[in-house]
Amino acid sequence: MNMVPNDLCACGSRLRALRCCQLDARTLGPASASRHLLPLVDEAIACHTRGAFAEAERLCLEVLELAPGQGGALAVLFQIRKAQGARPAAEALVRRLVALDPNNIWATQELALLLFGKGDLAEGEVHARNAVRTAPTDPQSHNLLGMILTEANRPQVGEFHYRKALELLGQRQPILLANLAWNLKNQGRMAEARALYEESVALAPTILQTLLGWARMEETDRDFARADALLDDAEKVAPGHPSILLHRAIVRGRAKDYDAALALLDQLEGMNQSGGLGTNELLEKGRLLDKMGRFDEAFAAFDAGKRKNVELSGAVYMAEHAAQLAGRLKAYFTAQRLRIVPRAKPVESGPRPIFILGFPRSGTTMVEQTLSAHPKVSAGDELTLVHDIANLMPRMLNSPLAYPEALADLWMGDQSEGLDNLRDHYLQRVRQMGVVEPGKSRFTDKMPLNETHMGLIALMFPDAPLIHVLRHPLDIVLSVYSNHLTHGFYCANQLETIARHYLLVMDLVEHYRREMALKYLAVRYEDIVDDQETHVKRILTFADLPFDRKCLRFHENKRYARTASYAQVTEKLYDASRYRYRQYLKHLKPVIPLLEPAIARLGYRIDG
Amino acid sequence: MAEAVATSASLGAAPIARTVDEWLAEAAAHEQAGRLEEAEAVVAQVIAAKPDYAPGLHQAAVLSHKRGRAPEAIARLEQALRLAPDVALFHRNICELYRGQKRLDEAFAHGRRAVELTPDDASANYNLGVIQYDRMEVDEAIRLARRALALEPGMAGAHFELAEALLLDGQFAEGWEEYEWRFSLPNSPQLLPHKDKPQWDGKPMPDGTLLLIGDQGFGDTIQFCRYVAEVAKLCPNIVMACSSEMWPVVKQQSGLAGHFDRWENVPAFEAYCPLSGLPRLFGTDLSNIPAPVPYVRADKARVAHWRARLGQLVPRGYRTIGITWAGRPTHGNDFNRSMRLETLAPLGALEDTALVSLQMGPAVAQVADWRAAAPLINLGAEIGDFADTMAILEVLDHVVAVDTSVVHLAGAMGRPVSVLLPFAPDWRWLRERTDSPWYPTLRLFRQSANGDWAGPVARVAAGLATRA
Repeated sequence: MNMVPNDLCACGSRLRALRCCQLDARTLGPASASRHLLPLVDEAIACHTRGAFAEAERLCLEVLELAPGQGGALAVLFQIRKAQGARPAAEALVRRLVALDPNNIWATQELALLLFGKGDLAEGEVHARNAVRTAPTDPQSHNLLGMILTEANRPQVGEFHYRKALELLGQRQPILLANLAWNLKNQGRMAEARALYEESVALAPTILQTLLGWARMEETDRDFARADALLDDAEKVAPGHPSILLHRAIVRGRAKDYDAALALLDQLEGMNQSGGLGTNELLEKGRLLDKMGRFDEAFAAFDAGKRKNVELSGAVYMAEHAAQLAGRLKAYFTAQRLRIVPRAKPVESGPRPIFILGFPRSGTTMVEQTLSAHPKVSAGDELTLVHDIANLMPRMLNSPLAYPEALADLWMGDQSEGLDNLRDHYLQRVRQMGVVEPGKSRFTDKMPLNETHMGLIALMFPDAPLIHVLRHPLDIVLSVYSNHLTHGFYCANQLETIARHYLLVMDLVEHYRREMALKYLAVRYEDIVDDQETHVKRILTFADLPFDRKCLRFHENKRYARTASYAQVTEKLYDASRYRYRQYLKHLKPVIPLLEPAIARLGYRIDG
Repeated sequence: MAEAVATSASLGAAPIARTVDEWLAEAAAHEQAGRLEEAEAVVAQVIAAKPDYAPGLHQAAVLSHKRGRAPEAIARLEQALRLAPDVALFHRNICELYRGQKRLDEAFAHGRRAVELTPDDASANYNLGVIQYDRMEVDEAIRLARRALALEPGMAGAHFELAEALLLDGQFAEGWEEYEWRFSLPNSPQLLPHKDKPQWDGKPMPDGTLLLIGDQGFGDTIQFCRYVAEVAKLCPNIVMACSSEMWPVVKQQSGLAGHFDRWENVPAFEAYCPLSGLPRLFGTDLSNIPAPVPYVRADKARVAHWRARLGQLVPRGYRTIGITWAGRPTHGNDFNRSMRLETLAPLGALEDTALVSLQMGPAVAQVADWRAAAPLINLGAEIGDFADTMAILEVLDHVVAVDTSVVHLAGAMGRPVSVLLPFAPDWRWLRERTDSPWYPTLRLFRQSANGDWAGPVARVAAGLATRA
């Protein structure tokens, strides 16, 4: 066999493309057909075990050239590529293993872990769930699902799986304890989280990740001294580790010691040979510089951070996908059609939702903190349920069509109560997630961009208040650009795609408002900053809630909101958060022509 | 006039020296045949070549007007007038163009000049009369319409203008007579597909069937169907032809044997009468307007449905105010009677109030831009027919509306409405008064100057704020 390098697969496996990513699975013979290669596979495994990686690789490539579906060789080659950091190759290989044998629990777990590491939580969850299905008594399956759900902001379900993993393991495994602690921190259960961190560190005092997570927890709980002390401990474990510097910088930044924070980031940049700071570090640096009034440098850092993110994740705005969804939603949700669509019945008993809608970074967290400071209201935070229901809808309505077209099945005799079922599913999940605290009759759902699904929400909850938070579009674009967000079809990496997605979503909102009778209230973030009491009263009465002064002191709300906004909302309202774009006009210039009409329609101006 | 114009070959023929008037004749021929683009091509060449030739500019302006380019038409005619300031026809036409653009002062000045130059031109007198009506100089409007009719007795437009001015002024007896000319107006639709049956004379007709026709708009049908029960006392067999949208209203009127929306379904009849002709036959005068409100009622089941729906959409304890801000865009006077939703912004500042939009049609699009403190519920999106509208009106606390069918419906139901009227309103709202003898539960809020909605809207908002 004459191997032409050009034939090699682009994934980096060093297999030929026809034996790798272009492999036609139908051409594979039965496993028994390659049994004569088993001695080679055994040898490869032996080489790999004793550290002769080059030889192991050579043997694997040889076997896979002849039998590209040979599981043992795939597994060894996967481990080699993974250890080399050749991520695309590792992913391609482990995917093949899973595709060839969906019951391969080890491969399934590896794939889920790899996707988790890459930030693809949605697909990671699919495989982690498969791992639980295949191996329900394997603690690692539950641990993985717990990790993914925690990061995917469903910490209550994540907590269930962490506890299951602990139970199956039959021992207090320190890393699992730290994972659970991080999960509880995300639920705002700081005391429980702290106890678990203490337990974990007592059992295994030298795990860097645990100390860093704990430090973040203390920082979130505003105990900056404790956070610093933990970072000192981490320093002893891994002297000079870059993550420690980053965490210290974050703690210093939250303690408003911007100079020190910035110095730490610069130090981090200096010691890092492989390409400078990462996305999060660069964005953090930008935000620090912004607070110090060094706007040009801040923007340069945002720019660099976003470029880094594109470089590493390859995430680009899914413009076509977004436009297609918007087009289909507009085609389905028309007044004429909706006149004959049955609505769900209002929720008769139990807690009822209040939807807080808005583009990421428009002030939805602040409005949620305000509302959830009310004695009758629990904060649901970013519930992914509306999105989940959109995905589940074809199954739940037994429809061959996708959302939104699947709603056509509501006209079937056996689906006429389909919306009630969807609504009940939503409420059941809310109960399961433990969103609603005892004694509260309402809860908020502030998933950003839920306004994309405002039509569906209004069909499921015809009496639920829809509170749409508006903010100056240039402030939104700037703020999204200065934070790491995956919402909105990955629009957040470029100013222009943020602006485009913003316009797409606002256009959808306008469409819904024209075509439907909605219980909709637009609230301006700037107005709340300007005249808090008037506007908070207005929101409360709109949501059928009596005024409560606690809502005006929402920054004292002990609840920790899990989003990028939390650091701001735990501070009192401050004027500087309005019209920040003015400091960045020249940087925002490319998107101003795009946004100008929307800015005017919303009643905002562009001031220099 | 035989001035030669050199034109380019782009007109499709080799350059030939033709006179200006020959070119204009060709443009006119294109125009007559409906080839407006071709006509424009010729005319544009002519005025480019002879920018000082006033008749060319005038013809170009008329063409611009036909092509729906009002500002261009005005510019061309203004230029013609600079060159030929004393041509009455130019003044007469630019008067209409300005009126169409709501530039009433300029329209008035040119209209007056046209009449000065040609005092015996019926059209010039009529045009000026129309503007005087718009300026609410009603006595002058009546005088000018009468003058036009003296010069040209069969001028339907002037009769109708006279009718509107007289009715607005409360001079009903003569007004109703003149109002009969409405079916002779150019472009007015035929009332009947055939003309072999007499119009009813108002006398008892114990035998034979009388066909009532819901002519004009929905508002007229709602306003005049109050007479049906009276007609039934004279004619026991009445059927009604009207658009099916009106059935929920008309079928509530006692004495109707049937209602139809297609001529082929209408049974044989002996005489007919448009609904809007009934006030004349009943000798209605300011002193005896029948207002038996409510003569239209909402269906109980629908009321229950809409009460529940509004219960979902309106925050608890909020007062509900229904609103409409625009009429049917094809209505001749729509630019006067309709407004933009944002004009109602003062209502958006009312406390503990939800605005409930009953608006239908293209103006609904404006709800997407409403972001005031008082939420706006676009209920129109769920309204299927007038039976829905009636049920909603029954539930709402109050209505604020421009002159549309919603006003008539709420008025006929005896519901409270603040009606926003243009400076020169439709005749039925009479002059100056704040009430309506047709509908006792309405309160009228009039513009005090043309186009100025801010005043009446502020008064409505202030009234609602103090009652809150």
